[in-house]
Amino acid sequence: MGATYRITHRTEYRYSARVAPSYSLLHLLPRDAPGQRCLEAAITVDPAPEDQGEHRDFFGNRVAYVAVTAPHRALTVTATSVVEVDGGRGPASLSLFGQQTWEEARDHRDVEAVHYALDSPRVEADAAFADYAAPSFTPGRQLVEAVTDLSSRIHADFTFAPGETKVDTPLTEVLETRQGVCQDFAHLGIACLRSLGLPARYVSGYLETDPPPGRPKLTGADVSHAWFSVLFPGAGWLDLDPTNDQVVGDRHIVTAYGRDYSDVAPLSGVMYTRGRTTRLKVEVDVVALTPA
Amino acid sequence: MDSPVITTPPSAYAPPGGRYDEMLDAATRAPREHWGDLADAFEGLGTDELLRRRDEAARLLDQDGVVYNAYGAPSHSWSLDPLPTVIASREWQAIESAVIERAELLNLILDDLYGERDLLRRGLIPPEIVFGHAGFLRACDGVRTGGPDTQQLFSYAADLGRDADGGWCVLADRTQAPSGFGYALENRTVTSRVLPSLYRGANVHRLAPFFRALRAGLQAAAPPGVEDPRIVVLTPGPWNETAFEHAVLSSTLGYPLVEGSDLVVRPDGVFMGSLGALEPVHVILRRVDGWYCDPLELKPDSQLGVAGLVEATRRGAVSVVNPLGSSVLENPALLSFLPRLGEHLLGRTPRMASVPTWWCGEDQARAEVLHRLDELVLRPVSRGAGPASVLGWELSAAERDELRAKITRHPAMWVGQEPLALATTPTLGTHGLEARRSVLRTYAVARRDSYTVMSGGLTRVAPPGDDGRGRISNQAGAISKDTWVLTSEPERQTGFWLETGPAVEGLDPMASLPARAAENLWWLGRYAERAESTVRLLRTVHDRRNEFQGGDPASEAALRVLLGALTDVTATTPGFSDPARLADPGPELHALLVDEHRPGTVAHAVRALLQCAYAVRDQLSGDTWLVVGALDRQILELRRRTGAGAPETQATLQRLMQGLLALGGLGEESMVRDLGWRFLDAGRRLERAIQLLALLRATITTTRDVAADSLVLESTLTAAESIITYRRRYRSRAQLETALELLLLDEHNPRSLAYQLGRLMEDLAALPPTAGQRLRADQRLVLETSTALALTDPATMVGDSEGAASRPALDALLGDLHAQLLAAADELDREHFTRRLPQHTLGWTGTDGEA
Repeated sequence: MGATYRITHRTEYRYSARVAPSYSLLHLLPRDAPGQRCLEAAITVDPAPEDQGEHRDFFGNRVAYVAVTAPHRALTVTATSVVEVDGGRGPASLSLFGQQTWEEARDHRDVEAVHYALDSPRVEADAAFADYAAPSFTPGRQLVEAVTDLSSRIHADFTFAPGETKVDTPLTEVLETRQGVCQDFAHLGIACLRSLGLPARYVSGYLETDPPPGRPKLTGADVSHAWFSVLFPGAGWLDLDPTNDQVVGDRHIVTAYGRDYSDVAPLSGVMYTRGRTTRLKVEVDVVALTPA
Repeated sequence: MDSPVITTPPSAYAPPGGRYDEMLDAATRAPREHWGDLADAFEGLGTDELLRRRDEAARLLDQDGVVYNAYGAPSHSWSLDPLPTVIASREWQAIESAVIERAELLNLILDDLYGERDLLRRGLIPPEIVFGHAGFLRACDGVRTGGPDTQQLFSYAADLGRDADGGWCVLADRTQAPSGFGYALENRTVTSRVLPSLYRGANVHRLAPFFRALRAGLQAAAPPGVEDPRIVVLTPGPWNETAFEHAVLSSTLGYPLVEGSDLVVRPDGVFMGSLGALEPVHVILRRVDGWYCDPLELKPDSQLGVAGLVEATRRGAVSVVNPLGSSVLENPALLSFLPRLGEHLLGRTPRMASVPTWWCGEDQARAEVLHRLDELVLRPVSRGAGPASVLGWELSAAERDELRAKITRHPAMWVGQEPLALATTPTLGTHGLEARRSVLRTYAVARRDSYTVMSGGLTRVAPPGDDGRGRISNQAGAISKDTWVLTSEPERQTGFWLETGPAVEGLDPMASLPARAAENLWWLGRYAERAESTVRLLRTVHDRRNEFQGGDPASEAALRVLLGALTDVTATTPGFSDPARLADPGPELHALLVDEHRPGTVAHAVRALLQCAYAVRDQLSGDTWLVVGALDRQILELRRRTGAGAPETQATLQRLMQGLLALGGLGEESMVRDLGWRFLDAGRRLERAIQLLALLRATITTTRDVAADSLVLESTLTAAESIITYRRRYRSRAQLETALELLLLDEHNPRSLAYQLGRLMEDLAALPPTAGQRLRADQRLVLETSTALALTDPATMVGDSEGAASRPALDALLGDLHAQLLAAADELDREHFTRRLPQHTLGWTGTDGEA
């Protein structure tokens, strides 16, 4: 069944010296997507920005542009949104993706498919990823089966280890050390699919983590989350969360799509200062307004 | 050099068979009709005379300071063959319409790629070659430049070559920031000067209309509703390979030359940080690669860009030309699809073909390319860090296998191209005319509904010793030529900046000087003066050394004082405070002249002043480069020399002094008294004042016996360029009081402290005020210094020290004045040169428990 969530994502920076000016791009406003609708969304910035705008990027994501001109030693960005998820996603939806084999999907090369099958800044295809994926992608296997198997294997083979990888840790190293965080697992899934010639993309978003009675607490509580998505020609994108071994369902909230993390970083920016960042604090709250 | 070179006459020119030659018809071995007059003229002049003209051309280019900086190598002079290549009028018409057609086609493609991408959906362009191209900037998706009618591809260049049959074809398209039209202009200027009668007689199309079209095009590219757009030229900086051209464009077109750090994005658009104010900018002629133009949305670590520039273009507040992302068209794979794109977009196949190109993303084409790997030129679709092309026949078997594997792995990212048997054109070699392969770069700029093509272009020929198969590029040492497009009748002479219509109001002179340019001019003034005064002091020391050698104790003592002064004034301690160096001063004196890595030396100051001059190239008059070029060569010369012969040193000092004096003269005589000049002059005055004070403190605040003191005083006056005046005025005998009168207080002595302070106050008064204050801090400090000086009586200061070993009161006074002026310099820096703070990437917020 559907649900409505209120998401609060607050980021605070502190600097050792005056910053003036700073410019940021925010991928914090959830987009509409199959199975979800963003009912309201707003961003507040402290200190008050001289300039704030919003546009749609190449991928159709909502991007906020923020320029703070006044000298500041701290910057706080708070994004608040209300998102309605209609219950159309999840394991039950798998049947909608049909029975095509992964080879059929691979050989269907329209513009979108080509775009997402190419290398991107953080994900380069490599034989090592194809080798890892091979047991899941046996000849003639249905793509639905193959890709859910891949996601489950990543979950089983890799250790969730916060702090062990950084945003710029090479993906080949993740494959070798068998550990990482959700972003690494999403990238890994994408790398495997692209190395086989399949179009795949990165999804950033959130996960509701209050455990219903009798069910285990899911990893990724109260933080932003990420997973991967694979294109089924004619049927659309199927989202899989390898970190939690799940088909993305109505407890996931999508913020933005991209080729990889670099297209959809929640906050990125440039600042001018003689100092450095001394503190970075992120707080995320996902609250169900109506129960799932 | 000593043995005479045997030359052959121009008529002996004999191009090899199998290729088209521009001048000679292969069948008749006679010059083609449109070359007839020129061939006769070459013969009439003779090879030796042509070689002389070539030297003359090199000298003229050198005077104009024309350089091309190849990355990773010292800048070298632009090399120009004085013999133009000639294209007949009718043939040019065909080229011109082909270039216009191609620019129009590329414009439509560009518009589509950042808009509907209909060409991709229809399968007319494989998506891989767009999405996999580093020049495709997703951040710029949907951004359109100017108004609804504005052409998106603003300027375009085509590299053209002729095949063996004499037919023209396009070798490559330049759409990022086509370079070379500034060099084409320079080549025309120089060629017409070294072959004046030939040029006058030849009815050559002028280049001026192109530059007029460029100006008009820039005006028209402005955001809708902007009546009198402010236009700037954005450069990566003075060390870029084509920095010369950026400065030429800026000064020829009359638009400020700016770097990314000079611009800032605000809610209502882009602004130039000018002294005391932000000036709006509406059109940016971009010479920085697109990817580097915005650290916020494009390349996070780029220091050459402007944060927020993409957003400003998205809002339509500024027009960047060529638009960010235009380099996606510099795509060799596109060449093989242009015929069908022409059919679709223009209703016809483009009339000029491209070099035969196979895109390896197609199976058949890939098979062909892999089969002929040793015969083809291989080019990556997207030029990353690697080379733009690989010549298949130059590869070893192992390298070929490696390349084959690369292509097989990413076939869509490679093309193979047929090497052309390029046409040759007569080029002056050491012994006579040689047939060298040539390529022609032509230029087009957008006008309302189409494009204007430059009637001419940049011809480049292969370097000497060419095997007929290597590359022809500036990096590979190509030589350039002027390109003469003949007209049927003489053209009206028109200056390209002359415009009809209502007079345009002159810009506020304060508005067009970027703060960075002001800072460079200030330091140019300071370093020029520092170099000059150090040369003077070194020269005085050398003279004294020659006179005193083996002399009496007084002379020895005086020399010691002067050597000590040299160390103090140049702040190069330990220097001559080290007894070993004092005992054998030669090496240290030599180092003070030539060691450019050591602050305080002449070479260091000259190198620094040259850097400042190159950074503000657009602000300085053309003659400046005569002088700057000479100084640059002298510094190179110094670097080469290791020995330290005295007579040679004296000659070097003389030559440097000539250059520095000429530079000073230009500042006085050839610069408008605008803000830029004020900074230059203020720098010079302040530096001269502090150099003088340092010199006096190091020489006359201590005393020795009368004989030694009198020698020291004489040398001090010499070093301060006041000895002649002093002798004339006080001919009886030297006295410290009168010397101080002349050096400190005499407002009519252009070398005195009082004179410097007077000029400095005038300069500072002309600079932008600080809001709400009558005097700025820098002005107040100079005024206080000046007042303190005016209240000084030199007689009392000197008089009380009769018989003492030092003059503490004088020393204290000079020290105070010196300190106050340094403080004034700091204040001036703080008030006017507001620099952008260091740029950093905002820390990222991670996922999964990063908090």
